Amino acid sequence: METGTAKAITKPQAEDLKDPAYLKIRDLIYQVSGIYQSEEKLYLLASRCARRMSTVKANTPAEYLEHLTARGNREVELRLLLNEITIGETYMFRSPPQMEALRNVILPQILQAKSAMGFKRLHLWSAGCSTGEEPYTLAMFLLEESAKQLAGWTFDILATDLNDNSLAAAKAGIYGEYALRSTTEALRGRYFKPHDEKRLQATDQLKSLIRFDRVNLSDDSKMTFLKGMDLIFCCNVLIYFDLGSKRKVMQHFYSNLLPGGYLFLGHAESLYQVDDRFHLVHFPGTIGYWKPPVGYVAGGKR
Amino acid sequence: MNQIDQIRPKIKALEAMPTVPTIVHPLTSMLQQPAEQVRLEKVVELVSYDSTIAAQCLRMANSPLFGRHHTETVRSAILALGLKRIEAILMGCCLNRIVPPDKWVLDAVTFWRHALGCALVSCKMAKLIGYPDPEKAYLAGLLHDLGILVNTIACPEEYRRCLQSAREGYVALDRCEAEHLGFTHSESGKILAEHWKFSADLVAVVEFHHAPGSAPVAAPLVSLVHLSDLLCRLRDLGYGYYEAMGVDLAGEDAWAALVEHYPALASMDLARLTMDIDGTMEEIITTVDAVFKPAQSATV
Repeated sequence: METGTAKAITKPQAEDLKDPAYLKIRDLIYQVSGIYQSEEKLYLLASRCARRMSTVKANTPAEYLEHLTARGNREVELRLLLNEITIGETYMFRSPPQMEALRNVILPQILQAKSAMGFKRLHLWSAGCSTGEEPYTLAMFLLEESAKQLAGWTFDILATDLNDNSLAAAKAGIYGEYALRSTTEALRGRYFKPHDEKRLQATDQLKSLIRFDRVNLSDDSKMTFLKGMDLIFCCNVLIYFDLGSKRKVMQHFYSNLLPGGYLFLGHAESLYQVDDRFHLVHFPGTIGYWKPPVGYVAGGKR
Repeated sequence: MNQIDQIRPKIKALEAMPTVPTIVHPLTSMLQQPAEQVRLEKVVELVSYDSTIAAQCLRMANSPLFGRHHTETVRSAILALGLKRIEAILMGCCLNRIVPPDKWVLDAVTFWRHALGCALVSCKMAKLIGYPDPEKAYLAGLLHDLGILVNTIACPEEYRRCLQSAREGYVALDRCEAEHLGFTHSESGKILAEHWKFSADLVAVVEFHHAPGSAPVAAPLVSLVHLSDLLCRLRDLGYGYYEAMGVDLAGEDAWAALVEHYPALASMDLARLTMDIDGTMEEIITTVDAVFKPAQSATV
């Protein structure tokens, strides 16, 4: 949520933030969606609320809280607020700490374990890939590592979404400056070609690593067959699910992953009280959810 | 004679160094007394002994990290934050003084961001799990890396190389210390902590915060600081370089040991605590910059 879009928003005055209704809205959002804002970042939440407040003509945070809790269309309003909160999070290489953790900690760990069993193939899944920024980021990352620690390995990425329009855009792989804002010139040069004056298109080499598919995460029959994943990325998707559905998806993810695999969520998302089988693992600047290998004994694994 | 014995005399000689504030001794004995036995006047006197340190203390006390107070005198700072917090702040300011501004290996700002971060996280976790003395947790978090200051003074050149090696290898500082120096900041810190007559539980934190399972006393406090130390290093409040590590905090032995004493830890929302630490990061940086940046501390 601390994105470029956020910077463009006027910071509400400190006085406004003292309104206890903001804390109640924060807690409501955390309880319903798992997205958390620390007290110091309440100004971001207030900014996002301000946009919705002016649309629904709520004059005070307390009045807006009522829209979120007591009005007939509260579920719709909550979804619209969540959209506001997560807006601007869709661009490539959005989380450098996550890439560093993959490069320096997670890949070495997974490669070592798989090599020991004679495997040389990696499977990644971007679940809820939206317009494709995440799977293309992962594809670039893997290709960059293919000359280094991934030499001799093969890999593929499954990218799924429920929305056909998003999937079509993802398959086309055409992006403007916003999506590419954190992609270096070197990477743009290697993995993109000019599309029109303002946009670039992913090369066939990049696209060839990704298989796009329409998957509803609540579709048990389809979820059951997606096995053997090393890494699953599911960013800001579960926030729209109710607790029961979230728990079901997490059960699927757990069995979709190979032992030793990781699940990554959005940077402000939490699985607190949703799932207790995954182990929350901290890496510098980012957290992931780990499915321990059979026979894992607690005691740290630095 | 092993390497730690070689630097032992240097550590004991620290006392004679002009950089060690004379108030350290009365302060350490005061830190061991319960707040109700400490006379407010005595603390005011100690803080006011040195105008630079007094100014630093007030700047620190006025940080939004400690609430929205604005205090202009030591007395009002004590009333707002409590005696124990002011004592801890004073101790931090004294320790900062023992390394001359141009002699830091791990620079002062990085060191104090980590120390302050660890103090705040230890204190916050203590409150969340029901540990009875959150102020002691704060002080222990603040002082746990005392040995880094000791190494900086006792063997600056070797320590510089050691830090460089840790930075290049993305590895934990204590691992490189063991390889390069033959001892770690836990061991050297313990010598100074004992020499200055820190309480037994603080000595245990200094000595065992990287090996909490071996602590002979104060096991919960040592475990608490161990976990806070890890959390800070994992949230950009570490030693100023990338440490390649993935830590299952709830799988740490220290976590299990702490849960035995404080079952509330088992249901603590760790993801939320992590995001709260991120939230306070900006303020920690601002506060440390304002208080401990060498150029500023010299010109109060």
